[in-house]
Amino acid sequence: MTQQPNSRMSAFFLTNRAALFTLLALILLPFIVGLMDGESPMLVFANQSGNSKFAQGLAIEIFILALYALSFDLIFGITGMLSFGHSMFFGVGAYLTGISLKTLGLSLPATLGLVFIAAIVQAVLFGLVLPRVKGITFALVTLGLGSVFHIVVMSSEMGPYTGADVGLQGVIAPAFISPANERLRFYFIALTILILVYLLYKRFVDSPTGRVCIAIRENEGRARMLGYNTFYFKLAALTLSSLTAALAGFMHAIYQPIVSPNVASMGFTVTALLIILIGGVGTLNGALIGAVVYRLLDFGLRRYIGESASFISGTVYVLFVLFIPFGIVGTWKTKSFQVKQGWDRLRKLFG
Amino acid sequence: MNSFLRKNTVLLITLADITALFIAAAQGMEKKDFVITLLRGLAVGSITFLVASGFSLIFGLLDVLNLAHGTLFMIGAYIGWTVFVRPDTFVDLLTPLALILSGFALRDVYPLLATRIRLGLSMKRILPWALILVSILIFSYILPRYPISFWDIGTYGQSPVTYSFLADQGTRLPAQVALFTEISAPLALIGLLFASIIGAFGISLFNIETQQQFKLNWKNFIGFAILLIVALFVFIFNESLTTALTGLGSNWLFLIAVVVATLSGAGLGALIESTLIRPLYIRPIYQLMLTLGMSAIGIEIVRAIWGRPEFVMPKPAFFNGSSEVCPAANFADWWAHNCSTILLLDGRVRVYNEIFIPIIGVVVLISIWMLLQRTRLGMVIRAGVQDREMVEALGINVRRVFTMVFSLGVGLAALGGILAAPSMGLSNAMGESLFLNALIALAIGGLTNYPGAALGSVLVGLIQQFIIKYGQIGIAIPFTDIIFKPTPPIVPASTVLLMVIILLILPNGLLGKKE
Repeated sequence: MTQQPNSRMSAFFLTNRAALFTLLALILLPFIVGLMDGESPMLVFANQSGNSKFAQGLAIEIFILALYALSFDLIFGITGMLSFGHSMFFGVGAYLTGISLKTLGLSLPATLGLVFIAAIVQAVLFGLVLPRVKGITFALVTLGLGSVFHIVVMSSEMGPYTGADVGLQGVIAPAFISPANERLRFYFIALTILILVYLLYKRFVDSPTGRVCIAIRENEGRARMLGYNTFYFKLAALTLSSLTAALAGFMHAIYQPIVSPNVASMGFTVTALLIILIGGVGTLNGALIGAVVYRLLDFGLRRYIGESASFISGTVYVLFVLFIPFGIVGTWKTKSFQVKQGWDRLRKLFG
Repeated sequence: MNSFLRKNTVLLITLADITALFIAAAQGMEKKDFVITLLRGLAVGSITFLVASGFSLIFGLLDVLNLAHGTLFMIGAYIGWTVFVRPDTFVDLLTPLALILSGFALRDVYPLLATRIRLGLSMKRILPWALILVSILIFSYILPRYPISFWDIGTYGQSPVTYSFLADQGTRLPAQVALFTEISAPLALIGLLFASIIGAFGISLFNIETQQQFKLNWKNFIGFAILLIVALFVFIFNESLTTALTGLGSNWLFLIAVVVATLSGAGLGALIESTLIRPLYIRPIYQLMLTLGMSAIGIEIVRAIWGRPEFVMPKPAFFNGSSEVCPAANFADWWAHNCSTILLLDGRVRVYNEIFIPIIGVVVLISIWMLLQRTRLGMVIRAGVQDREMVEALGINVRRVFTMVFSLGVGLAALGGILAAPSMGLSNAMGESLFLNALIALAIGGLTNYPGAALGSVLVGLIQQFIIKYGQIGIAIPFTDIIFKPTPPIVPASTVLLMVIILLILPNGLLGKKE
């Protein structure tokens, strides 16, 4: 580090070097995995099946999970509303995409528009509940709304559209984005969306609106005393969160061959809770790291242990609650000062 | 009177609406359908109440939203099933369990011991971990080799399904007595005792303040001695105890199963509260996450031990008789022949499901009500629900009451589980669906309100059963010829919708107090 950060450009690179390195690694990931397997980058470009394609698939799943967890972090970690119906946001996006592509035969942009409209409508639906109930009762009402959605999806009347308890099958994605033949493109699109949404969220949290949201989490009565109509801020957070979750659902429906009804169940909300708990509640990058850890852990456990994997993940969850309550990012933030001091001491020791 | 009306206008209007809807629903039914549906609704309501009341007591006093309550309900059912269908397994399990617990019975002795031992600082840090590690190693060596006659979820012939079927036929065969082959018996017993004492010692070393004065509590030794005697007694008389239990007949066995399930639920509750939840009182939202994690773990444990397939639990003979005179025409007739069904107002009613369970529900309702209103413990609980800090300030050990209430709540859930098992059957999902019911009932009735829990549970049960009945006979929509038949998926949805509507009108539920 001999170079002095004299221009604004290099200062930007210095302060964000960790994020930029991660970004670079993610862009190069498909090719590196391919090279490790002895495939040339050209083969990876041509979407040859192999380890690289598999790694891309896993990464896409992580991106989708991360989007979903981010949206939950916005309303739970930032705004402080505990919603147990969050999987409904995701489920509506996923199922609506499937139905509109398969049954209605709409084009992809039209589908996306439809999903966004539905997302706004359901955010308003949840918002209707907001002024009346808060705290635990809000959790219960959202749990109720979410489980009604799950029941509707699972019911046999909706079978022709949603596939009932088997899941929605046979959604054919347009050829230019098909996850089977054009996975590399899908990978980069998903990565771009995730980065854009993440930046948007960071901007939102730093904006005056986001600050008020944090104030609502800390003490709602006080925020109201200061003259903010907390309802609108909560609704804004809910709408943004709902849009993001629906977008994640949209990508899920295109990527996965089957949309299983589990994504609308209470268990999927718990997954989001677990992810942001692992990463760190209320820290946006915690949701990203949590998604990586959660998916890889789940994948590894299912591969090597099999059926009882959720026993282990449940145990991990309990251990996190008891011993690492601030998650990976939160603990890192509190510890990083000490770590820096330790490094300084080491550097002094060796001259 | 007038002021009461004015204060509770919304509540009264809501109640009147529900009553009017109920009467309207009852209009189109035949008398026998009505009786059966009413009783079934009460039965579902009773089971829901057993879960909901414990949950609401815990939430009211401890402020812990115990999301594992449904799983504990399920565990109660499975434990009861084990005692009822496989008494030999139950007897085999008693010895190791008593030995494992015996070390923890001596919990007040260890600090005294620890103050006598003088160690360096680094040793003091390592010692507890080392002790726990050694104890875990010993346990993991002995426990898999300890002979317990067990079912095998892998093979159909020895699966819980088969044993349930056999027990229904009246043969509770203790298949083959498991023997000590891989490990010698005295070694196993002494090893378990030793590992338990070492483990408990290690755990107790974690929270020792040296300044504190310790007194020897003789109750500890009595508890230890009782556990040891139980372990040895059961070990020596294992086979004769099993034959005695099997020979008792299914009625007594069912009673024992209920008692064991309830007690083990209560014990489990006390254990969970004192080890896992207690450190988290300062971080409320994390308790919620912890209980969620516990619920996932509990379901996986049940899947690993009892397997995934659903199975039924046979009813005790007292409610399962069949002869030419069945269904019994009246209660005297039923008493004489123990028929499984009885004719009430022309309706054929199952005695266990639709009469016995509501009666138990009412009994529990009244006894808990008495406990809350008439005893000192109940007074502390009621005061604690209102203002916990004030009670603490008055010098009452609220922490001990916390543990008691938690174990009471979980015990009630486990009681609900074993009672529901013969009528609902046992499955991995039984806890989840019932827990949703209980949550809805509490949201309707008021989260921390005891009568509210009862009212909400009964409402939920009645609504579900009436809608199921209408799914069979259909609703004639007025002024048209259309007959609308609600399908089973609508059943949970209807109660959820009722909950949402009621919460929107009365955010604190029907009987909940305004904050």
